[in-house]
Amino acid sequence: MERKIILKFLIILMFITLFIGLSNLDLLQGSKFRRLSDSNCIRLISQSGARGNILDRNGDIIVESRISYDVMILPQELDQLERILGGLARILGVEPKELKAVFRKNYFSSSLPVTVASNIDLKKAILLGEYKLEEPSIIIQPNPLRHYPYASLACHVVGYVNEIDRWRLTKLEDYGYKTKDIVGFGGVEEKYDYYLRQEEGGLSVEVNHRGKFMRVLGFELPRNGKDVQLTLDLKIQKIAEESLSSKKGSVILMDPQSGEILAMASYPNFNPSVFVNKRTRLIAGLFNNPGSPLINRAISSSYPPASIFKLAVASAALELKKINLSTSFLCRGSTMVGSRRFSCWDVHGVQDIIAAIAHSCDIFFYKTGLLLGAQNIHDYALKLGLGRSAGFELPYETSGFIPSPLWRKINKFQNWYDGDTANLSIGQGDCLVTPLQAANMTAVFANGGYLPSPYIIKSVGDMELSARKKKMYRVPFKKSTFEVVRRGMRAVVSDSKGTGNVLSGLNVSVAGKTGTAQVSRGSTHAWFIGFFPYDKPRFVICVFLENGGPGHAASVVAKQIIEAMNKQGLI
Amino acid sequence: MRNSFIRILILALIIAGLGILSIYSSTYQKEGAWQDIHQRQILWVVIGLVCFFVMSQVNYRKLWDANYLIYGVALFFLFLVFALGIIRLGAQRWLRFAWFNFQPSEFAKLAVIIFMARYFSRKSVDDISLLSGKFGIFRGIILPFVFVAVPMFLIIEQPDLGSGLMLLLVFVCLLYLTNVRLKYISTLIFVLIVPLPFFWHFLRDYQKQRLLVFLNPNIDPLGAGYTVIQSRIAIGSGGLFGRGWLSGTQSQLYFLPESHTDFIFATFSEQWGFLGSSLLLLMYYLIIRQGFIIAQRTQDSFGRLLAYGISLLLALQVFINIAMNMGLAPVVGLPLPLMSYGGSSILVTFIALGILVNIDRTRSVF
Repeated sequence: MERKIILKFLIILMFITLFIGLSNLDLLQGSKFRRLSDSNCIRLISQSGARGNILDRNGDIIVESRISYDVMILPQELDQLERILGGLARILGVEPKELKAVFRKNYFSSSLPVTVASNIDLKKAILLGEYKLEEPSIIIQPNPLRHYPYASLACHVVGYVNEIDRWRLTKLEDYGYKTKDIVGFGGVEEKYDYYLRQEEGGLSVEVNHRGKFMRVLGFELPRNGKDVQLTLDLKIQKIAEESLSSKKGSVILMDPQSGEILAMASYPNFNPSVFVNKRTRLIAGLFNNPGSPLINRAISSSYPPASIFKLAVASAALELKKINLSTSFLCRGSTMVGSRRFSCWDVHGVQDIIAAIAHSCDIFFYKTGLLLGAQNIHDYALKLGLGRSAGFELPYETSGFIPSPLWRKINKFQNWYDGDTANLSIGQGDCLVTPLQAANMTAVFANGGYLPSPYIIKSVGDMELSARKKKMYRVPFKKSTFEVVRRGMRAVVSDSKGTGNVLSGLNVSVAGKTGTAQVSRGSTHAWFIGFFPYDKPRFVICVFLENGGPGHAASVVAKQIIEAMNKQGLI
Repeated sequence: MRNSFIRILILALIIAGLGILSIYSSTYQKEGAWQDIHQRQILWVVIGLVCFFVMSQVNYRKLWDANYLIYGVALFFLFLVFALGIIRLGAQRWLRFAWFNFQPSEFAKLAVIIFMARYFSRKSVDDISLLSGKFGIFRGIILPFVFVAVPMFLIIEQPDLGSGLMLLLVFVCLLYLTNVRLKYISTLIFVLIVPLPFFWHFLRDYQKQRLLVFLNPNIDPLGAGYTVIQSRIAIGSGGLFGRGWLSGTQSQLYFLPESHTDFIFATFSEQWGFLGSSLLLLMYYLIIRQGFIIAQRTQDSFGRLLAYGISLLLALQVFINIAMNMGLAPVVGLPLPLMSYGGSSILVTFIALGILVNIDRTRSVF
């Protein structure tokens, strides 16, 4: 019978179909379905460790991580949810309705735990821990938050933390960064984010079809980030910031023998904790503030150096033997360069190099500069670390700028005139330096011929970095050159008519140089760079006041700082 | 001769045993009445075995004599369900007896097969040739179709589209195996298929939904498509060796609905993997093959048709149920014979297997 055989084949065909279907599901797509099955019933609850602390040179905490507690629940069926939220509301002391609203707002997908309350205190966390025994779907998540015990102190050095932005994410994705990660912005937090950053651990739990907690499958301990120790001295930093008190500008104190930054202040500043608390309005205010409080003025913006640049001109002239100790020029208040009249800020009479530095005589330096030529000034300024990046560790350092005839020819298609040389000789014109570069140049004169590469990180975790960071580059000038400039700098303070004479009354012998930079708009910038004690310099100081008036104003701030340091026995 | 008895018994017992293991694994974590559900299944299997032994001893020719009675009783129960369904205004597939639910549609499947087997194997009085060879279109197609259509309509109205269509399928296959002309059969199939789009409007909403979902389960992943998606995940996640007994997350954490009844194959497959499932398919195939062998070597045309009918019923149910588990067929409420939880299905299947064995045993008498 034909029909029987056909039917039999049909049956066999049916079973072959089933077998092929089974192979397809199990063997070809097995791993996909295994993954789907796991994502059905496995929930990952991440637990972050604490971000590393930032310490000062003595191990005192500048920024730390404090634990706060978040309450999360696993999404599940509505009646269950209401009961749990009711219990939570009773313990947390809020309306269940509020919690429900928060839950609805934060709900993302049925497979992710939802945060219903954050930043609850320890006592409530303990109470909830007991409630958790009844309702295992509750998760109490310790959540380390940045804590700033000194508010805005050293905020520019430290930086702030915030949710990762798109730009950083694309850059750092390969290093294990994820969306919503908290990363550092600016300062040490950004630069050393990789070390400070905690390693996430977490809990994997099994849930049933209603999202109810069944059992814990695994747990990996989160790891804390490494501590970063800075070379900053909290006490000096505090003095520096207090003395700068609400004046726009920057203060740097540095160890000239090693290049360690002891204090680095910049104003206007900000309180990094607004980013932790997500105070949106305050954050927006920071970004929109015309004073740009987020910018670290010590390294990220450059200014005309004005008279402090004369130290570079002086060393160049001495080095190239254009002048010597007995060279002197007559200051009558003004001089002609070409057909243009260049004036001095005062009438100084006969000035030798020491006096010219002390009185900051412009005429002397116009003439010296013209003897040198612009290219020489440019070259020697670069040897002193100006016009190029100091290689500082913190991000967003600018390199400043020293013009030269060649640069002008190439970039502006203009000729270089003697007038430009005269302008350059007193640090005006296109010349720009950062306060850090100014301090670095000062260090060369303080330590007698070594250009430090400034650094601020002492150690990361257990790794001591000082030895690796300390790099002193020999500046190949004659010893006498430094000696003459040093004497000039001392005279700035000790000479009764010296521009920094205000500092002479201190117990500490200070040497320095003031600067008053003319700007196209607004009041002049005030500079003071110096080192102390004169004989065995241990500190380099750089005070810069943006639109702060004459250099004298900066000397006054420097005096306050040195006075306070002296009083606290820090010198 | 004892050969088929032993083979069928062993295969049926193994499959039923695996069914009990799967039922246990998918329900042991549930609270309350669920706890002893596997014990009830064991009880049903034991009763089923008793029926199997009894039926294998009772001469199947007695069914020839009793076929009107059997058909009448099946219709009576179906009417009862239908009437109760109207009274209670809702879906009704069971009759509640003292401590169990009886599902007449299961019984009706067997009853219709017995009825049809007898109808087509009547012999004319004068010679010994089969009457069915001389059937015209009325006696060959229309009359038997009416006999099938009545219970089928009642079952579809329950509503139980799966079992209803199952009757129709078995009927068409039986027709094919008789002497009825192919021309008539194709006419019947044509007549049945043409108005199908028209029947669409008579389907209930959930049935339409299921058919749409069969075409694309993702149109409603949390509603009607949920079961198919979860069942495919369960089967697929088993992989080659399975996740081990009592370790299937899909079935034990209740992601898979109906994991102990219609979707027991997914439950089994998740835990025993490709190898276990292939073995299970093989065992089903061996039982059905045994049925076909018995049918082929039976000289008596009633016994032959009956054996074919029973084997076909088994084969079609197994195929449709497993295909639906894999998402290869639309979800219709059909149990997997011998494995799914449910007394009626187990009992009827064992009775059917008992008849099968008896046909083989009695064949030499004629």
